[in-house]
Amino acid sequence: MKRDLISLNDLSLETIQGYLALATQVESMPDAERRRLLAGKILAVLFYEPSTRTRLSFESAMFRLGGNVLGFSETGSTSVAKGESLADTIRTVEQYADILVIRHPKEGTARLSAASCSIPVINAGDGTNQHPSQTLLDLYTIRKLFGKISGLRIAFAGDLKYSRTVHSLLQALGKFGDVRFEFVSPESLRMPSYLRDGLKGTGCTYRETVDLAAAVAECDLIYMTRIQKERFPDVLEYEKVKDAYCIDARLLKGAPSHLRILHPLPRVNEISPDVDSTVHAAYFPQVGNGVIMRQAILLDLLGVKP
Amino acid sequence: MSSDNKKNPVLHIPKIENGFVFDHIPAGLGPRVLEMLRSYTGLKDAVVTVGLNYRSGKLGSKDMLKIELLDLPDSFLHLIALIGPGITIKKIVGFEVVGKYPLELPEAIDNLARCRNPNCVTNTERHVPTRFERTGTGSRYRCSYCERVFDLKELELRLP
Repeated sequence: MKRDLISLNDLSLETIQGYLALATQVESMPDAERRRLLAGKILAVLFYEPSTRTRLSFESAMFRLGGNVLGFSETGSTSVAKGESLADTIRTVEQYADILVIRHPKEGTARLSAASCSIPVINAGDGTNQHPSQTLLDLYTIRKLFGKISGLRIAFAGDLKYSRTVHSLLQALGKFGDVRFEFVSPESLRMPSYLRDGLKGTGCTYRETVDLAAAVAECDLIYMTRIQKERFPDVLEYEKVKDAYCIDARLLKGAPSHLRILHPLPRVNEISPDVDSTVHAAYFPQVGNGVIMRQAILLDLLGVKP
Repeated sequence: MSSDNKKNPVLHIPKIENGFVFDHIPAGLGPRVLEMLRSYTGLKDAVVTVGLNYRSGKLGSKDMLKIELLDLPDSFLHLIALIGPGITIKKIVGFEVVGKYPLELPEAIDNLARCRNPNCVTNTERHVPTRFERTGTGSRYRCSYCERVFDLKELELRLP
């Protein structure tokens, strides 16, 4: 039976730990060995929304495993523009590829895609809902940085309302338990209540605040997010909060040396370039870990053991 | 009403020979159940009797509904359960009650409700059947597509 990667809600802690272990194994393999693993396999990349990192990361992962890639990164030149249904597009593309990765602005699209075809489907972001491969690479990065996940004090800062990256990661961290969260956001971009409620019974605790400086002084990890203009129904609301938070070298002066900063990227103004050269910046290694984790995901869903 | 009936009030709703009795419908929900009934084509020619605002020891007041029909699909029973959890159903054969059970909230709601999230793919793509799964023992359900959680009261129920 085929397997998909659609939502963190589908993954047990054991499965998540399996992905972390597989990524570690993949990273330790010589490049030449890795390039033989998916020779002859084709990945279809269907991106209905703009993306740089996620799409290139999946494509890089597939190429580095010896596979090939086809797909589109905007729908203007496809049958989608002619009104083709999503299910029909998926049923067509499954004839061309062995595995499919999809990003779409509507929530639930990856689930519908998975139900419409017999090849594995990977959700690369569905509206404001889930982005599980980003979550797995974030967990992999956190574990590489700290050697553990439970017991950490983690701040999410910026757009906590619309950020699917934050939503997915929060749910995953909840499965590990014993994490203390700081939710740092403007009032209008607070963490949704269904996600806060979801922490009940996990052994995790949270505090909501508007004070980024306090979080910097007290936490092990700051997970910064961009205020996403494209998610705002009203551009005036965006203007009010777009520069609400910015981490710069001055703010980090009082930070503990072990503090690390992650960001799903792209950034705009929320992390100043003068942070890049500090010990705290971990967001570019985070990007590199994305390729490793996506290799692990492709191998796992295609049933290929390294 | 006769003086006897004043002392021992009885329900003036005729017995049915074969069919189903929905009892303990919270008062006021009877018309909603009826509205759902009317949208179900399988019941187009069935005789349906509705009684409203009967006194009830359990509920204070209740509505009741009788349908003369040999069988009802599960989807219909699920829908009635969703409208008013705790409604009881009696199956009648030859004027006798042959089965009685409470309608309980289903663990999944298949294609009986519309997702309230306008950005959910079930609202933006054509011909996508909806599905909601119960998140615990209460009345909250998660959309299987967009994963939003809603209380039953928030969902717009409909027959497929």
